[in-house]
Amino acid sequence: MACLMQRFAVHRPFEGLAIAACLHVTAETAMMVRLLRAGGAAVSLAASNPLSTQDDIAAALAVRYGTAVFARAGVDRRGYYRHIERALGAGPDLVIDDGGDLVNTLHTRAAALLPAVRGGCESTATGVLRLRRMAAEGALAFPVIAADDTAAKRLVEGTCGTGQSVIDGILRATNTLLAGKAMVVAGFGASGRGVAERARGLGAQVIVTEVDPVRALDASLRGFRVLPMAQAAPLGEVFVTATGSCDVIGAEHIAAMRDGAILANAGHFDVEIDVRALENLAVAVHTGVRPHVDAYDLGDGRTVLLLAEGRVVNLVAAEGHPPEVMDLAFGIEALALAWLAAAVSPEAGGKLPVGVHEVPADIDAEAARLVLAAAGTSIDSLTPGQQAYLDSWRIGSLSGARNLAAAGTACSPTLWAGIPMGGPPVVAAGGRVSSSHATIPIGYTK
Amino acid sequence: MSADQLPFQVADLSLASFGRKEIQLAEHEMPGLMAVRAEYAPSQPLRGAKITGSLHMTVQTAVLIETLVAIGAQVRWASCNIFSTQDHAAAAVAVGPDGTPDDPKGIPVFAWKGETLEEYWRCTEMALTWPGGDGPNMILDDGGDATLFVHKGAEYEKAGGVPSPAEDDPEEWVIILDRLRNSLADHPGRWTRAASGIRGVTEETTTGVHRLYDMARTGTLLFPAINVNDSVTKSKFDNKYGCRHSLIDGIKRGTDVLIGGKVAVVCGYGDVGKGCSESLRGQGARVIVTEIDPICALQAAMDGYQVAPLEDVVATADIFVTATGNRDVITAEHMSRMKHQAIVGNIGHFDNEIDMTGLARWPGVHRTVIKPQVDEWTFPAEEGRDGHGIIVLSEGRLLNLGNATGHPSFVMSNSFTNQVIAQVELFTKPDEYETAVHTLPKHLDEKVARLHLAALGVRLTTLTKEQADYIGVTVDGPYKPEHYRY
Repeated sequence: MACLMQRFAVHRPFEGLAIAACLHVTAETAMMVRLLRAGGAAVSLAASNPLSTQDDIAAALAVRYGTAVFARAGVDRRGYYRHIERALGAGPDLVIDDGGDLVNTLHTRAAALLPAVRGGCESTATGVLRLRRMAAEGALAFPVIAADDTAAKRLVEGTCGTGQSVIDGILRATNTLLAGKAMVVAGFGASGRGVAERARGLGAQVIVTEVDPVRALDASLRGFRVLPMAQAAPLGEVFVTATGSCDVIGAEHIAAMRDGAILANAGHFDVEIDVRALENLAVAVHTGVRPHVDAYDLGDGRTVLLLAEGRVVNLVAAEGHPPEVMDLAFGIEALALAWLAAAVSPEAGGKLPVGVHEVPADIDAEAARLVLAAAGTSIDSLTPGQQAYLDSWRIGSLSGARNLAAAGTACSPTLWAGIPMGGPPVVAAGGRVSSSHATIPIGYTK
Repeated sequence: MSADQLPFQVADLSLASFGRKEIQLAEHEMPGLMAVRAEYAPSQPLRGAKITGSLHMTVQTAVLIETLVAIGAQVRWASCNIFSTQDHAAAAVAVGPDGTPDDPKGIPVFAWKGETLEEYWRCTEMALTWPGGDGPNMILDDGGDATLFVHKGAEYEKAGGVPSPAEDDPEEWVIILDRLRNSLADHPGRWTRAASGIRGVTEETTTGVHRLYDMARTGTLLFPAINVNDSVTKSKFDNKYGCRHSLIDGIKRGTDVLIGGKVAVVCGYGDVGKGCSESLRGQGARVIVTEIDPICALQAAMDGYQVAPLEDVVATADIFVTATGNRDVITAEHMSRMKHQAIVGNIGHFDNEIDMTGLARWPGVHRTVIKPQVDEWTFPAEEGRDGHGIIVLSEGRLLNLGNATGHPSFVMSNSFTNQVIAQVELFTKPDEYETAVHTLPKHLDEKVARLHLAALGVRLTTLTKEQADYIGVTVDGPYKPEHYRY
């Protein structure tokens, strides 16, 4: 983001635009706000979670960086939504959302502001899912970039960021030893995989639960035990939900759990663990036995510990993703938003169709390149010859075949992959015409 | 010339040039051995030493053998396992660096891959028999078979004869008794003489060391021994990292099975079991450990492995590896309950960890040879179950050597540098080692480690004098107290 600051200050992609953002108010978000302002925007900010705000950051943004901030840690439900409405203010030109509550508010309670909104950006998988459903029903009023759905972001934020910070949250909240413990990770998407791998690295015996057979196969081939939650429930000592779904841990699972089981949620919303069921099963609840830890007494000698009220544990009990992760994530979003701003600007005369858009692949790559450069890591680039080879479907040409044959270093027969191309017959070296399926040898260049 | 009088015996001398090429490559990967070769060449400390070696006849062992010769020793060699010889290495050792297959100038080596048990013990006796009926004055052993032959020979000479085998004695024991009986008849008293001439034995492996401590405890040990296995630079490296490398190599070459996603059981979580578990986990298997020792079991649990009794997992796991140094860990009854095409292998030194005798005696069981060192054993159908087959590697003998080529050179350089140093110690300082089991002093252990750092690009930090004083050591080491466990 530091690199982008200079670039944005020069090019001013958000000159004169008002951006309303709904993000977790953390130090990394503060950098994002400063980046948007460097690009010329006026920024207003609300929190995307009632418990995740760092109040000192909120204050600094308001006082030092001219941002209209509406956020306080521990705000109640009504206050949470009121903050979002206030951040929308007189009407933004662009929006940045995390989980979809801002976009949802715009489309429901603040619909009068909709016509002025040119487009937006959504940060998290859960929010993207909501947007896709809105778009499918024709309910989405402006183009939105799905900024969660990039290869780089999934890897860095999902796997590394969530993986590390969820474990961090669990450890800060409970101080439990993970080595030797049975940990159940529900969901083996980017986030679940990150948590599972890092828990394994700490010596936990990890069990994965999944509904998607491809993800389940991935987990299994990486050496994780895969079980239905009903069978994992009596075995687990720590449970982490990372599915983006609801009611993943329900009453029947809680009823089967061991004394002292720890429940934590890594998903965006607090619906993955059925907290209501837990409340119903408990005869007594001792809140705050440690910060962010509530003990549910099930009345039969068993106690289950719920972390962060079932809300996203890495942000509530720890500090969310490490800065490096958010650097990439926000870098991608800022670049994507700048691209969108240009695409929808009246001056450009362009209009992006309403709907959910992917982040252009070269933006993802550019962000990754910036992060690598900042870390002093160099990579290779394709030579023109390699680029041509990869661009061409006609891998291997007549002259190529002849040249190689003449040089006596033709690819050995074993390199012929025998891939039928269905084109006109190719005259192979030696003048024999092969059958109507031309088999193109792998390994030839033009 | 009868088989007992051959100057050497290998599978195929024409393999020597291939063997020589691989020996040269291995020399580059064995910096410790080559360094002690250079260090000792001028002083020839093993001049006059007559060393009998009983150790897997591999490319790496060839470099060990030629190091011993380079520093003055005469050597006779056999393998310590019927499947572990690499025939091209044996040929190259017989031919020697300066000989040809028509004019071999190497050392007397008696080893080939796929010996019968009878041939194995004949080779061992020939390695122990010097021209003129003499014996060695040093033994370099791996598993203790050469040491055992001498001790039993002397014991039976003292007792006046070799006992008859008992009804249920293992086949191998019957063969040993037979061979000793003939030997006592042909050359009375020779093993007692041999034992008195042996200055000592250096022993390579946990199981062989166990035999030595047993003999020391019962007062039957006939000469001093150095336990090379428990040099830190041997057991914490060879046993662990060597197996980590070569276990899956053997499984893959034997079966080509996908290890990712499978459930693998490792019996035993000592140094070898730790390496095996990491090996399988690294390929994506889910590893379950079995253990009888609570300390090792707790280590396994904290390393993230499920620890369970074998009975609980025998019917559901895909791969079983024994690494205990014990016997009858996987029984025929266990094998009868395994999944179809479960893979069973052993990486411990001897083949009694898996009850192969019991398996062969199972009513209705049938053995099919898939390829050398890979057999399928099919059980008859029974109530509620179709007949199932299991795949047994190397007939229950060490599968990393039987199905692959054993540990890679670099880690064997650690072990074998210890062996050479130990041989030099025992041979040149006979008065300093009483008849007991000894280990090399820590400063020599650290020397072996030092000799391997440069090849890996390791740059060591040096203690300041103040720091050395602070922890009560010298700047040059040793750096750890005797009780430190690494």
